[in-house]
Amino acid sequence: MHKKLENYLEEISHFLSGREEREEILAEIRSHILEKAEQETGPAGEATLEKVIAAYGEPRRVAEKYLDGRPVIAPAFQRHLFRYASLLFAVHLVFILLAVIFKKSFIVFPFLFVPRMGVIGAVFYLPMAFLADFGVVALVLYFISRSGREIKLPWPKFALDLDEVKPADAKTVANKVAAMVGAGTMLALTGLAVNLFVKHRTIFFFTTNFGKFRPLFMPEPGRLISLALIATLAAGTIGLIVKAFSLSRRLACWVDAVVDSFALVMIAMVLRQQYTDFFAVRIPVSPAHQTWIYTTLTVTLLFIALMVAIDLVANVVRLGRRRPAK
Amino acid sequence: MDNELGSIETEMKRGFLQLLVLVLLEKDAYGYAMVRAFRDLGYEVEENTLYPLLRRLEKRGLVQGKWDLSEERPRKFFAVTPSGREMRDGLLDIWRKQDEVLKHMIKENRHA
Repeated sequence: MHKKLENYLEEISHFLSGREEREEILAEIRSHILEKAEQETGPAGEATLEKVIAAYGEPRRVAEKYLDGRPVIAPAFQRHLFRYASLLFAVHLVFILLAVIFKKSFIVFPFLFVPRMGVIGAVFYLPMAFLADFGVVALVLYFISRSGREIKLPWPKFALDLDEVKPADAKTVANKVAAMVGAGTMLALTGLAVNLFVKHRTIFFFTTNFGKFRPLFMPEPGRLISLALIATLAAGTIGLIVKAFSLSRRLACWVDAVVDSFALVMIAMVLRQQYTDFFAVRIPVSPAHQTWIYTTLTVTLLFIALMVAIDLVANVVRLGRRRPAK
Repeated sequence: MDNELGSIETEMKRGFLQLLVLVLLEKDAYGYAMVRAFRDLGYEVEENTLYPLLRRLEKRGLVQGKWDLSEERPRKFFAVTPSGREMRDGLLDIWRKQDEVLKHMIKENRHA
């Protein structure tokens, strides 16, 4: 019994789980390795076997050569996966927005159920919705691939074509300079914001005659929104600094995705607060108009969140590709 | 360049190895002996590629495998079947035709 050889075969066996001829495959490999070790390097000791095993290859790669290698989704349909998932997600997104705005649940039988939810619920529901849509499309394409029939799927064009989204060219001098200028500006802005916050506990002010500046928001919401904005600015600054000094496009995508995710969390944190008295300034309008102002602010933040989410999805698509487009 | 050449060589070898195996197995042989036979002719074959190929050929009925348990170490011997011979002859015809086309084109290039 050669321990190293048996461990190696055990690993190969793991990757061949469920195959009827597994034992015979392992017997063939065992016989070959022992024979080679004896014939080429002398008696089959553990050290000799180790060399022969290393030459035979990594267990997973060895096992994969026995597998049929039929793709789960036929190559002709692989490009449809993100395209159709994005389309389905767009429909899903509309229903999610309707569910949030009208505080109702929606059922599009039998495909879609969108429960009634608040803003914070929607922020957490969105990634799950995308995964569910992606899974449904993948499943349909899997069955189409397995059927082996000559099916021609339509290829819808988007205004924002995620499939043709090109990663930012991190290698050009212009982009480097832009990233450095951006990083410098953001750094200055972040510094200014931090300075203001340390002195006044807020970074939002208002004035009517450029004389005396007064805080725009009440202390508690003012502090929270200021901190959220400072944190987002800081994340953006770090992202730009990393991009300015890195040549990797993939790293740039990762940085953008992390900054986008962070911004989404910050927006969610602000939206989560249920302040009734938000402004420190008395606005001389009716309660109905005040509600309208709050709704407009919420919708604006939701719109920003949507834009950030689109950028996040685009970055995830870029990262999902085997190689970034050249 | 070397990487690209290597990857094209791998693609070319994929089909060629099937033909080589079907030709070699006119006489019974086991895996390791086959690797040695190819190597003696200056043709390197990845061991971990040969066995899966033999298995696929066996499944398609082109070669037949049989374990020899008479020795201290069991060995699986392979031999070409009648269908395998038929396939081999067909592949050899294709090979000769391709070889002729290639030689003809190289000759034309020299005269051009």
